[in-house]
Order: sequence, then C-alpha cells, then structure tokens
Amino acid sequence: MHPNPTTELVEAPPPRPVWDLPIRLFHWLLTALIAFSWWTAKNGQLDWHVWSGVAILTLLVFRLLWGLFGSSTARFANFVRGPRAIRDYLRNVHGWRLAGHNPLGAMSVIVLLLATALQVGLGLISVDEDGLNEGPLAHLVSLEASEAARDLHEDFFNVLLALIVLHVAAILFYRLAFGRRLTAPIITGRAALDPDVEPMRPARAWVALACLAAAIAVGRWVAAGAPPFGR
Amino acid sequence: MRTALLAAAAAITLLAGCREAADDQAANTAAAKDRPVFPVTDDDPAAATPAAAAPRNKEEALKLMHERHEGMEDIGDAFKVLSREMKSDSPDLAAVRTHSATVARLAPQVSRWFPAGTGPDVGKTRAKSEIWQKPEDFAARTRAFQAAAQKFDATAKAGDVAAIKASFGEVGKTCKACHDPYRAPESDH
Repeated sequence: MHPNPTTELVEAPPPRPVWDLPIRLFHWLLTALIAFSWWTAKNGQLDWHVWSGVAILTLLVFRLLWGLFGSSTARFANFVRGPRAIRDYLRNVHGWRLAGHNPLGAMSVIVLLLATALQVGLGLISVDEDGLNEGPLAHLVSLEASEAARDLHEDFFNVLLALIVLHVAAILFYRLAFGRRLTAPIITGRAALDPDVEPMRPARAWVALACLAAAIAVGRWVAAGAPPFGR
Repeated sequence: MRTALLAAAAAITLLAGCREAADDQAANTAAAKDRPVFPVTDDDPAAATPAAAAPRNKEEALKLMHERHEGMEDIGDAFKVLSREMKSDSPDLAAVRTHSATVARLAPQVSRWFPAGTGPDVGKTRAKSEIWQKPEDFAARTRAFQAAAQKFDATAKAGDVAAIKASFGEVGKTCKACHDPYRAPESDH
C-alpha cells in the first residue's frame, strides 16, 4: 500500500514485510469463520456451525504449527514474553521498535487464541437442544457433560466476543492515541519500519503447505470423531 | 368465548387428517386441559382427532405452553439418547425402544400443543406467530413428524439396525422441517 501523502511524512521509509501471507489468511479466515459460526448458531444452521468449528480448529492447528516453524514474526518463541517485558513496554510504548507483536499485543494474541481454542473444544463435545446435532467428539463424553459443555459454549461466546471487542478497541486506541495504523499491515503484510529494524524473515512456502496439510489432517480426523488409529 | 370455540372448531377441522391420536372428547375445550396425555388409538382412524383446544384464558394458555415446553424438552432428551445410540455400530436396542416409544407417545400431543392464543404475544415462547398464519402448512408438518415418529417406533420394535438408523434420520428431518420455519432462535443469554 502506498503511503498516504496527507498523513505520512515524505521521507517515511518504504513499508517492509511484517506479516506473511499465512498469518494474514489465518487472521481474516478466523474473523470470517467466527462471524459465520455466530450466524449459523443464531439461525439454527447447526450442520454448517459444526463444519465452521472444524474449520476453525484446522486454522488453530495451523497457527500452532506456524508458531513453531513459520516466519519470524509468527513464531511464539519470538514474541511471547513475560510480565516484566509487558510492564517495561507499558512504561515506554514508543521505545518498542521491533517488527511484529509488541509484548502487550503478544499477550492479547495468546489470550485470543486460547479463548478460541476453548470455545472450539467446548463445541466439539456439545449436543444441541434437540439432540439432532452433536459436535464430532461428543460421543467421547457423557450426555450430561455434553449438555454442560453446550451451556458453557453459549456463555463463553460472550467472553470471546468481549475479547474481540477489546482487540478492536486497542487497535482504535493505537490509531487515535499514537497515530499507529495497525489494520493496514494485517491486510498488506507490510508496515513502515525504522531503517535499523529487522523486518520479518519469511519461512519457506513448502513449510506453510506442510503445516496446512498436517492441520487439515487433524481437522478431518476430529471431524470423523477421532477414530483410533489402525482401525 | 365464542371466538375460542370457533378457533377450537377450526383447529379440529384442520387437524382432521391426523389419525395418530383419536379422542372424541377432544372437541370439548374444557376437557382437554385436564388430560395431559391423550390416549392413542390407531384402530379407529375415523374417530375425531385431538383438538388444538383454544385456551379460555391466559392462565390456561400459559399452562398449555408450559406443558408444551416440557413435552418438547422430553422429546429432545429422548432424541439426545437416541442420537448417541445411532452412532454406535451395535446400538442398545432396549434403550432405543424405550426412547422411540417416548417420542411416539408424545408426537400426537403436538396436535393439541399449538392452539390459537398460545403464541409469543401471550407468553414466553419460541413458537413463531407464523404457526397461526399458515395453519395448514404447520399441521402438515406436524403430521409428517407424527407419521415418522410412529414408523421409527415400529422399526425400533422390529429391530433391524440399518432400518432403525434410516427411520431415525427421517424423524430428525421432520423435527427440523418444522423448527426451521416455526421456531425462533434462542433468546440471548
């Protein structure tokens, strides 16, 4: 994306890679699938709701693998930091210049991923009110557990929604308070970095395809009800 | 109370094609409310059908709506157990028969659970007002469910697992065929 001449300095450095294509696809597919899951649940389209949940699971498994083997800014080891780093970051927000998640953003990412994983996990073992649809792993737990999981699945969506609202609010805050544009990079993959800051080191495309293949395999196995191997 | 009686008469006419439950007292609006369960007699198809007896007052309406809610929940609970059994290669036929009988016993009740005056304007319910705007369609879908429920129960008693699974699937479709157009989504928690 070209810098907007009305808001960017003329000597602003050209945007450099921050988020790779897999990360961006993951982000926007997850956004779309969460919206789709909500819609299908509201409208009683539970066949599609279960499908959507399995698709989200597949995305989460991919993100987990990409966090181990992916590009530099996707790797957990490069961005998950402790409370001290978060405290230092909060004391001097503008002192943080590395490409990728800042320490607070990293915590937000981890919490959102874990909350989404919990929500999917609850859905996988839930039964609907009519007994017409079940999550693909519901048969692994008792009917009572499935009913309890369904109640939690419904309630926990509000928690997930609150976290998403907080996520969007934080992006707005960075825009309004610091003039930072965080949305454009997650679309284009590029952001203006200071000249001495190292941009994202991309992983190879075949690694992404291998992670995707593994994630799809896990998704399909779960969708099939997690049958034991060798049967 | 003329309106109520007229509504009851209209409902009886509409449901006249339903042969599952028969009770000639059904035309009596007063009698209907005191009998939570209609006797099911398959041997006399010519007998009068259960009336969707319109409630005479709000209290009676709410009572029926409560009974309807509980009944639907019982059907749902039976379905949950059945769904699990249907996933098994060798379902527990005794459990299947118990719950197929529950569904078959409650299915005819649906005909008298939705009289006029038991909609969302009267009390808390997910029954949509469309039910009373398209009574023929609603009655047809009700009958489809009732027929599927009886067939499933008969298949369960016979004991052929493949046939049981197939006929259970058919019942599920008839539930959904009515829930999709006529049941509102759950209210927000």
